Amino acid sequence: MFDFEAISFQIISAVGTTKSKFMLAIEEAKNGDFKTSKRLIGEGEECFVLGHKAHMELLTEYASGEKVIPDLLLMHAEDQIMSAENIKLMAEELINLYEVLITEGIIKSKGEKNNA
Amino acid sequence: MKKIVLLCNMGLSTSALVRKMKNHAKEIGYECTIVAFPVKKAIEVAIDADCVLLGPQVAFQLSMVREMLPHIPVNVITMQAYGMIDGKQVIEQVIALLGENNV
Repeated sequence: MFDFEAISFQIISAVGTTKSKFMLAIEEAKNGDFKTSKRLIGEGEECFVLGHKAHMELLTEYASGEKVIPDLLLMHAEDQIMSAENIKLMAEELINLYEVLITEGIIKSKGEKNNA
Repeated sequence: MKKIVLLCNMGLSTSALVRKMKNHAKEIGYECTIVAFPVKKAIEVAIDADCVLLGPQVAFQLSMVREMLPHIPVNVITMQAYGMIDGKQVIEQVIALLGENNV
């Protein structure tokens, strides 16, 4: 018997961590720390791979003819994957934008503001 | 009696974890109430809590929750414990968190 609850949780946990890392990456970019920001994006991507692997197990199960009965928790897991993917795209855009704005001196980083 | 509050996006996925945590707490005779809520409700539901734990998907809101509840120990459930729905490990995390706070 395939444990859907366990798989769902693995997905939610991994892609949830991914999402958190991406959000923190945006925060660091706002602070002007682009090195940390890019490191967090990298860490997020690593976590996403873990979530994707768990998701692949489900797909393999489905492809082998096993009936996958979706429940609310599994839907929630799929939802989290989608949101993590979107947040990654937006996070990268925002980080690039902050980098241009801060290095060009158009806006001050949050850290600079606090020092001033 | 300790009140433990778990916070995640919607309070849905953590509910399953609450079940496992309750089972383990019962086994080891640890007296506590455990509830799960969306992180948005933190201020309403966790104001009288002994400890607050965040799901990994809301880990980025840790500093915000800590600011809201400066008198309560707040931490993030590890990705491993959450992913395995490991109630035992989370209860141990709670005990460690409260222990540190009491010292």
